[in-house]
Amino acid sequence: MLAIKLAFKNILGAGFRTILNISVLSFAFVVIIFYNGVLEGWNQQARRDTIEWEIGQGQLWHPDYDPLDFFSYQDAHAPLPEAVQAEVAAGQLTPILLTQASAFPQGRMQGVILKGIDPKQPILKIPTALLADQDGQTPALIGKRMAHAIKAKEGDQLLVRWRDKNGTFDALEVTISGIFDSNVPTIDAGQIWLPLERLQQMLSMPGEATYLVAREGFVPANAAPWVFKGQDFLLADLDTIIQSKKGASGIMYGLLLIIALLAIFDTQVLSIFRRQKEIGTYIALGMTRWQVVGIFTVEGATYSILAILLGALYGTPLLWYLAKVGWAMPSASQDMGISIAEKIYPVFGFGLILGTILLVVLSATVVSFLPARKIAKINPTDALKGKIQ
Amino acid sequence: MIQFLFKGIIRDKNRSVLPVIVISIGVFLTVLFSAWFKGIFSDMINVNANFSTGHVKIMTRAYADNADQMPNDLALLGAGELIDSLNTAFPTLEWVERTNFGGLIDIADANGDTRAQGMAMGQAIDFLTPGTREPERMNIPASIVKGGLPTQAGEALISNDFAERFHVKIGDPVTLFGSTMNGGMAFANFTVAGTVRFGMRALDRGAILIDITDAQAALDMADAAGEILGFFKDGQYDAEQALQVKTAFNAKYEADTDEFAPLMLRLNDQKGLDEYLKMANYISGIMTFIFILAMSIVLWNTGLLGGLRRYNEFGIRLAMGEEKKHIYRSLIIESILIGTIGSVVGTLLGLVAAFYLQEYGINFGSAIQGGGMMMPEVFRADISPESFYIGFIPGLLSMVLGNALSGIGIYKRRTAVLFKELSV
Amino acid sequence: MKNITILIFSTLFLFAFKAPPDANEILKKVEENMSSDNRVFESEMIIHGRRGSRTITAKTYSVGDKQSFTEYLSPAREAGTKMLKLENQLWIYSPSTDRTIQISGHLLRQSVMGSDLSYEDMMDDRKLTDVYSAKIVGEEVLDERKTYVLELTAKVEDVAYYRRKMWIDTERYVPLKEELYAKSGQLLKRTTLSNVQKIEGRWFPLTVVFKDMLKQGDGTEFRMTKVQFNQDIPEYLFTKAALKQ
Repeated sequence: MLAIKLAFKNILGAGFRTILNISVLSFAFVVIIFYNGVLEGWNQQARRDTIEWEIGQGQLWHPDYDPLDFFSYQDAHAPLPEAVQAEVAAGQLTPILLTQASAFPQGRMQGVILKGIDPKQPILKIPTALLADQDGQTPALIGKRMAHAIKAKEGDQLLVRWRDKNGTFDALEVTISGIFDSNVPTIDAGQIWLPLERLQQMLSMPGEATYLVAREGFVPANAAPWVFKGQDFLLADLDTIIQSKKGASGIMYGLLLIIALLAIFDTQVLSIFRRQKEIGTYIALGMTRWQVVGIFTVEGATYSILAILLGALYGTPLLWYLAKVGWAMPSASQDMGISIAEKIYPVFGFGLILGTILLVVLSATVVSFLPARKIAKINPTDALKGKIQ
Repeated sequence: MIQFLFKGIIRDKNRSVLPVIVISIGVFLTVLFSAWFKGIFSDMINVNANFSTGHVKIMTRAYADNADQMPNDLALLGAGELIDSLNTAFPTLEWVERTNFGGLIDIADANGDTRAQGMAMGQAIDFLTPGTREPERMNIPASIVKGGLPTQAGEALISNDFAERFHVKIGDPVTLFGSTMNGGMAFANFTVAGTVRFGMRALDRGAILIDITDAQAALDMADAAGEILGFFKDGQYDAEQALQVKTAFNAKYEADTDEFAPLMLRLNDQKGLDEYLKMANYISGIMTFIFILAMSIVLWNTGLLGGLRRYNEFGIRLAMGEEKKHIYRSLIIESILIGTIGSVVGTLLGLVAAFYLQEYGINFGSAIQGGGMMMPEVFRADISPESFYIGFIPGLLSMVLGNALSGIGIYKRRTAVLFKELSV
Repeated sequence: MKNITILIFSTLFLFAFKAPPDANEILKKVEENMSSDNRVFESEMIIHGRRGSRTITAKTYSVGDKQSFTEYLSPAREAGTKMLKLENQLWIYSPSTDRTIQISGHLLRQSVMGSDLSYEDMMDDRKLTDVYSAKIVGEEVLDERKTYVLELTAKVEDVAYYRRKMWIDTERYVPLKEELYAKSGQLLKRTTLSNVQKIEGRWFPLTVVFKDMLKQGDGTEFRMTKVQFNQDIPEYLFTKAALKQ
């Protein structure tokens, strides 16, 4: 207790330099939290968006379905097994049917994927309500990337050609009834969303689907041969990227923390040098050397506590503000097929803050202890005289 | 006097060792930090540049319109001549041809009939020209799982997953069946030189990498290329210079109404990278500034420490009749010397470390995945001209500032109390 | 009395106008005219691309509708490339790689040599009368030839084109124009046939222009330069081994 009281008194007494030390350390503290917050924010946003827009609580795949193999689409469709139909009726699953097709924007042929989805589905965030019946026209929904690629806007007609299950060509002008803005490129680029029943009719595949998206709370039962793919599987790519980003930014704030610790180390060396007489006095008064080491170590560690307080003082409003306005990201990063919002809203979790506090305090204590160790070897008489160089 | 002070610094370890060490460490960290920071921020840019956009990219206008569809029928003709003229006009950039294509990889059985086949995305780059930097640029050597890079015409890399799925071994022949630039049938046999992990599922499923000359032969693209990419020879993207290159190049074709006239785009112009670059510059500027500030505070401390440590010495020198001004000046010059030595040492160390991180990087991916892949999971530092001087700002400036501040104390001392203070 | 008048008039009517032939009859006649036991022809295919046109020449041997063997003669790049079709299987042999590649599934839907024709278009070998039910919807004059306009609607499910419209020369029983429609009624492709010549006693159109109506462009022109019917074609030609020779 004495050590802590002394520490505060000494530190506050040191004035300007203390403020500098604390500022540096507090800055490292805030940056660490900020960086991890951004990554966590990205992670959460990307997961949330991918879940909300694309994968739900998981997907039930037709056994032949392979999203990366366009050619698998031709055979990957079947009527729903009865058990699955019940889940669909209960609103636990929503079926999606897809097929390869060609679109002809401005007379150029472009490969597209037609995806049929129930306009009334409540599971995915895709604004399927816009696919509701429109007198005689076939409504189609596309994402902003697709809209950009084919230079289409709402209300435009787009000629689409496809082949039904027998291979018979069919073609139709669809009306772009809406353009949605999603961070998930995999439901957008090269895709045209149509009302499920319409697509089933177009393909002569009534009641069929390629995969189904599960709602929260869905319990995958045996629907063999259909295969359930959980979120872990569907989000694996994203996890890998986030992991490697975490490593890279770890180095950066690690360096920053070292600098801040260097400042504390330096200050410790200085104060031990300047306060030889004080040290000598403590020992002369009967303290053991290690007790004195303790006093100085605690003093150094106290910097970190003050730094955290200071960091909290300006960091809280700053980070709160950033969490509110977000952190802009380039649209280029979306081309990688990974969901990245234009703006990432950092998430500062309790665990992150607590962990960072522990990291800062512990490391500050260690660097304070290192120079203070010297005290244990001090000759008290020399110290009293102030003769240690 | 400098010589005298220098001797003093060398001989009096107390005066020199600790400050030099601290400054060196500080400068080392500053240099490393700024290089690392630049590195990870330019990571995204480099990935885009190396894989697709180049620092600048030339396509035909028609190709640029439909670039997503890899329309090789709209490719650049007379690529060789164009590159020659580019090399002359813009020697600070390295110009390379690239062609993207799609096709079918067909694997033969003993009779030469189809045993297995799969669709593949293809990319042709320069593998074979001696000294080519293209494989490194695409991070291919690191992502090879089996075998090695193509070393002669007719060799190819294919994705490892594809090879495993169809039981293709190194040295096996595969046939590429695709479409020539003119829409004709393209057939070409390749020997699998190695297999690659791309780290992107779509590519891992089926992809083939071949030399550009092989692609030109196979796709009937004699002297043609889908794209010509330009990379600054120092590896660093310079937006200003790229703009000049682009403006100068495009001006030549302004009057040309041919839809197959070449068109140059800058990295900034592609895929919304402009916005990202602006933000990266802004953020890294702020971060570096704050870091330097922090480092300055540390080194200032060191300066102060040095001044205080020598309180007694200054007292004696004053007592012996040395002028305060002279002591102060010698203190400053000394700090300049120490600061310079420390900064030089620190910068050198920092550059060495940054260079190591630039060349080898730190791999954060293998810990997770157990094997390299083409998508970068290795993060690298990025040495820029800035790296050479940035350390001197905190190193020299704050050391001098710290000493200058602590040295003010000299003027406050009164000869009358000197002997009492010194308690001699 | 009234009844008799009607009878007389209607009888007159019958004599005055020859009854229009049944649409399926017309189709049959067309098929009889166009198909033969076997045929050998040389052809030029002119493909119009955005950067100019290419001409590809080939020699084709076919027996019935099920077997055909094509060897490309020019340009030099394509020379020696051979294509063998047996029933619904297709192989392509390339001399440069000495490989025979089977084209199946999705690949059949790719365009042949960048033309407006897909492999699949060339594969469909069923008789029109087996696949479509036809009716006459009118008569038109096309290039100074009188034609029946036939509308064909698929009577089986697995056809590429649900509806076709054909313009058939009323005398020569040669189609002069054909349009292919999607189920929805959208016009997909148009084929124009011209340069009708009498060869070995039958009328035969030597020039065919294919046009994908959804795509921009000038379509693909197919010209037969030398047609011979009922030749002696060695049986071994229609084996995979023949591809390599």
